[in-house]
This record gives sequence, structure tokens and C-alpha cells, in this order.
Amino acid sequence: MGLLNWLEALPLSVWVHESPSIWAQPTVLTLHTMGMGVLVGACWILDLRLLGIGRIPLSHFRWVYRAVAVALLVNVVTGVLLFMARASLWGTAFPFLIKILLVIASAATLLPLRSYVLAKDADQRAIDSRARMLAIASILAWTGAITAGRLLAYTVAG
Amino acid sequence: MPSITTINVAHLHLLLNHVPTVGTVAALGLLILGFIRRNEGLKLVGLETLFAVALLTLPAFMTGVAGFDKIRHLPGVSEPAIRLHQDVAIYGFTWLEFAGFIGWVALWQARRHGRAARGLVPVATALTAVALLVMAQAANLGGDIRHPEIGPGTLAATIQPADFLASKISNVMVNSPWAWPASETIHFLGLSLTFGVLLAINLRILGVMRGIAFNDVHRLLPWGMLGFGANLITGMLFFVGQPRQYLDSAPFYWKVVFLMIAGANFLYLTVFEKAWPDDNRPREWNASAADKTMAAVSLFSWLAILYAGRMLPFIGHAF
Repeated sequence: MGLLNWLEALPLSVWVHESPSIWAQPTVLTLHTMGMGVLVGACWILDLRLLGIGRIPLSHFRWVYRAVAVALLVNVVTGVLLFMARASLWGTAFPFLIKILLVIASAATLLPLRSYVLAKDADQRAIDSRARMLAIASILAWTGAITAGRLLAYTVAG
Repeated sequence: MPSITTINVAHLHLLLNHVPTVGTVAALGLLILGFIRRNEGLKLVGLETLFAVALLTLPAFMTGVAGFDKIRHLPGVSEPAIRLHQDVAIYGFTWLEFAGFIGWVALWQARRHGRAARGLVPVATALTAVALLVMAQAANLGGDIRHPEIGPGTLAATIQPADFLASKISNVMVNSPWAWPASETIHFLGLSLTFGVLLAINLRILGVMRGIAFNDVHRLLPWGMLGFGANLITGMLFFVGQPRQYLDSAPFYWKVVFLMIAGANFLYLTVFEKAWPDDNRPREWNASAADKTMAAVSLFSWLAILYAGRMLPFIGHAF
């Protein structure tokens, strides 16, 4: 608890939490939502393709990894700020732990999928059952992460 | 500071309310004429009109609810008459959006395969006819609000306030422990899906994924429509559930404006011809500067929708 309280008392945390400025909590939260839209949207487009929607060669999905990298960066930064603002609340909330685990699981599915998209011979590689399972896992995990995240407003911060 | 709501939204409703009535007549007329003349092109124009009407019916409805509070206490205005008008308008809206959705599927198929699946356009036409009947009834009841002398206007007075459809929806949305959180969750899932699809399609137009036939990204549009539909339904539940907190909030009006731009872009992406050349080399299609501008405006609009939506509690009224 000591560390969480210390984090929460940092000037930056206090600013995010208490400042009436539009650039504090409102903008941080809005950027977090925009990042979510790009991040999850881009992942789902790739997942749908792996599950057989459309015929776009996989090498043309490299932009997904670039979009994900930018959005993930935005959401880690904004997410850390939002966490710091109320560290003692989030740090001890079980639903928040579930959300974070789901986000990590979702993002982790992108790593094994890299070899299907970023490889030089990506278009020659068959989309095997492993890739399809990863796509299904990605869709479900992101759905779970968004659900858990959205419900935090009611379960923890409500 | 005067907010945008000081613009007379009640007056704006008197302008926009012609869209779901006159506009639906126009769409239905074009569709019927298309059948009589066996003219596929005319049917497509009818479906495109239907989509535009379905889109503009959203602000028509919302300005109506905004006008409600402005006129309910005026002398000679019957509040139950407004509530009955609103209830029938909700039914009309639902029929019209359903017609617009089926019509959109037909447009999407027609662009891909040359024609829509058998039966789809007649179904869209029939739904449009039903929507028109309900909307005409809503319009009629709307007239009773200010002109009780030309209609019976007595039915509304016999209905208990809690028995109106809008009251029932509001009651569930506000008092159920799960209705609002569940709808919010679906709204966020829907926005991610729609955003992902439009990101892919607009990036193709902007030149990312060059070498992909537009046909292949066009394939994704129904998934965007799925998210759009989920968010239209959940968004309407929020709005009917707690209209005041939106109507008193300036970003809400911006959200609706950008939603109209994004909707127009969605229709354009569905039907535009330039990306479907006949020379069998569609992979090398390079969008014109105008189309690239359109794609950039679309992505900006979606971010603006997201911004205005997420900022609702912070700019204007908190909830």
C-alpha cells in the first residue's frame, strides 16, 4: 500500500486526478479510448482475415503492426497515468487485475502471429489451425479486455 | 456562455421532420418506379436515398426530443400528445433503420456482384412502406401537439405517463443494474469493430496496402455495419434512457454532426464506382486526390465522434 499511496501522491498523479483542466483526466481518458479503438480495431481486422474473411495477402497487414505499436504506446502511457491518478484504488481492485491480464493476453497473441504477417514469405505460408486458434483467442481476449475495462467504471470506480 | 442548445432546436425539428416523411416518400417512390420500369439503376438510387433518409432521421428524432422540453409547458400544448408522438416516432425510426439496413446490404451486394440477392430489394421496399405508414402516423400525431383542433388528440390524454414506450425504456435503462453497463460495453466493442474496418478501407484509399484490389477491403464493410448497428441501438437506448444529459451537452451535437459525415462516407465507400474498373487491373487502383481527402475526413470524423462521445461527461454536463 505504501508504494501505491506514494504513486498516488506524486504531483503528476494529483494533477491527472484533481485538475479541472480539460487536458488532465478528460483528455487522458479520451486518448485511452481512441488508442483502444485503433488497437482493437486493427487486431480484429487481422483476426478476421486469418479466419477467412476476404482474400487480402497477409503481407499487406504489416500496417496492423505499425498501428498496434503506436496505439499500444499511447495506451500504455495513458493507462499508466490513469493508474497513477488512483493507484490505491486500482492497485487493490480484483476486476482491474482481470482487465490487465486480459490486455496482456490479447496483446500477446500478436507475437506468434508476427511470423505469419511480417515474414518475407508471408504470402506463401498457409494459414494453419494454429493461426486460426490465435485469431479466435485474440478476438475473445480483446472482447474480454474491453468488457472488463468498461465495467471498471461500475465495479470499482462506480 | 450560450450553448448550442440556445439555437432553437424545436424549430430545427420542424425542418428535419420532413426527412423521415417526405424523404421516405421519395425513396419509396424511386423504388416502386424502379420495379415498374424494371430499372435496376433507379432501384439503387432509391436505396441510396433510403440510406440517407435513415441517417438523417437520427437528428430528426433527437431535435424532436430537444424540442419537447422547450414547448411542453406552453399554453395550448398537450404534453401527452408530445409523448404519444414520440412513441410512434420511436417505432417509425426503428422500422426505417431496419429498412435502411436491408437496403444497405442490397447496395453492398449490388456493387460486388452486379445485383443484390433475390428478394432483398423487395423486402427493403416493403419495410420502407411500413416505415412510411408509421412515420405518417407519427407526423399526424405531431400535428396534434400544436393543432389539436384538426385532430382528435384525445387518445394521448388517456395514457398514463409511465405507460409510454419512452418511459418504459428509460425506466429499464436507469433502474436496471446491468442495462446501462451492458449497453456501454457493447457500445465500446462496436466502436472498435467499426473503427478497425474503416481504418483498413480508408488506409487502402490513402495508399497503404497498395496492390490490394479495393474489392478485397470492400469485403469488410458488413463488419463495419455490424459495429455501426450495435452502436446505433445502444446509443439510442442511452439517448431515450437519459435524453437530458445529452441534449444539454454541446459535444453531443458535434458527435451527431460528425456521425452524419461518417455515415455519408460509409455510403460512398459502399457504392462508389471508381475503384471497380473494368480493365481487370483493379489492384493498381490509385485513388484521386478528392477520394484521399474523403478518406482522411472519414478517419478524422470517427476520431471526432470518439472524442465528442468520450468527452460528454467532461465538456458540458457530467453524468
